[in-house]
Amino acid sequence: MRKFRIRKKKREPKLIEIYERRLIEALRELRIPLLMLHFSITVGTIGYMILSGGDFINSFYMTIITIGTIGYGEIVEGSDTPVGRVFTSFLALMGIGTFMTSVTVIIRIFFKENIINLYRAIRMLREIENLKDHYIICGYDKTSAWLAQTLKKRGIEFVVIESREEAMKYLQEHNIKYFIMEEPYKRSVLFSAGIKNAKGMVVNLGNDALNIAVIATARLIRPSKEEFYIYSFASTDGTAQKLEELGANKALVPDKLLATRLAAYIFHTSSAFISDLFDRIAFGEETDIDILELKVEAGSPLVGKKLKEMDLRKALKVTVIAIRKPEGDLNVTITGETKVEEGDTLIIFGQPKNLKKAERVLLEGIS
Amino acid sequence: MRYKKIITDFFILMALTTNISFIVSPNPYELVITVAANLAATILKIGEGRVLSTEMLASSLVADLHLIPALFIYFIGDQVEAVGLAQGALAANVISVVISIIETVLSAFTEEEE
Repeated sequence: MRKFRIRKKKREPKLIEIYERRLIEALRELRIPLLMLHFSITVGTIGYMILSGGDFINSFYMTIITIGTIGYGEIVEGSDTPVGRVFTSFLALMGIGTFMTSVTVIIRIFFKENIINLYRAIRMLREIENLKDHYIICGYDKTSAWLAQTLKKRGIEFVVIESREEAMKYLQEHNIKYFIMEEPYKRSVLFSAGIKNAKGMVVNLGNDALNIAVIATARLIRPSKEEFYIYSFASTDGTAQKLEELGANKALVPDKLLATRLAAYIFHTSSAFISDLFDRIAFGEETDIDILELKVEAGSPLVGKKLKEMDLRKALKVTVIAIRKPEGDLNVTITGETKVEEGDTLIIFGQPKNLKKAERVLLEGIS
Repeated sequence: MRYKKIITDFFILMALTTNISFIVSPNPYELVITVAANLAATILKIGEGRVLSTEMLASSLVADLHLIPALFIYFIGDQVEAVGLAQGALAANVISVVISIIETVLSAFTEEEE
């Protein structure tokens, strides 16, 4: 005889599904106290109804005031008879204990299982599912906190993944919108952080081995270095190189980075303002001014046009400060007569909102 | 033997049968027992993480929301309206039983596969 079979696909459960299951399990514990309470109320109500000849409303009320230890009196007809009193005594003995226990257990379940936190986490994961072009920050320490603050200033959405419980306090203090309290090297966690739709990732777990695990897992999900950027921290130059070979777009050695930045100040002491300005722009600290690199592709309406013809200063309130040629040379002596050629990269300086507009206008060829 | 399932299914069926008997011969005790059985079925369905658990809980809540007002309306004096509401609850209870049967069949297949 042929048997019908439903083939069950074995797949890794999503984090949201695991949380939902935990919430269901927590809610399931409410059943016994609720049933106990329900049983007492039903027995009491039906009992008083029989005594009073079917007076439901007063019977229900009498049951509640009896098991709730309010005890206003014998308000139901027949409850002041010997049979009624015997019934009330038994109901009180059974019901008061049940009522107190049930209420205590229900309150305890809500606090012990942290149902509210689970519900919040599920809601957050649902919101994360809708994010696009966001960044994922693995590990939340002081550096990540500064990074989060900078991204927030720029209006870039990000999700923090952190497994240390003690970081929770800082995440809440710093008002981080999206965070997942799980191990970041798990595939299900990265999927829940929206890695499929994310633009990039910052791996800062303070441990090279953990960084490697996360980078390898993430790169297996998003193999293209051009479509998904991974930036990581490394303890040494050697590790940084390995991380880059494993899949990080850039691995930084924090001590070295700091030393280089300090050295830049020392080398440019006489032009402190301008070097500081470029520094701040490069590090995203100058939010009023930014630089945009715009590549002129083949067939672009900009090809063959002179800079003065475009008149970007007047039309879009941005300035072309240099042009990088396809072979890599940087032309910093541009004038209005300079012609834009195919493959050039325009280095444009201006306010972020104007740059965004310029990018859109120039790329789409709308004048 | 799964005792939990016996208890849950008992209350689901009990909710349906008492509901029908109230509609056939309206009686205050019958109505209170219907409401009690329905509420017990709803409580037992909380946290049932099965395939159609949400649909089952929703149908049970619909039945409760018909029967609880019916209970008060009946004792206030409008018995016709209470029977009408109980008929609405009956539809929800029938759906509940159908879902329960589907669940049982599905879980039997899943167990076989495992």
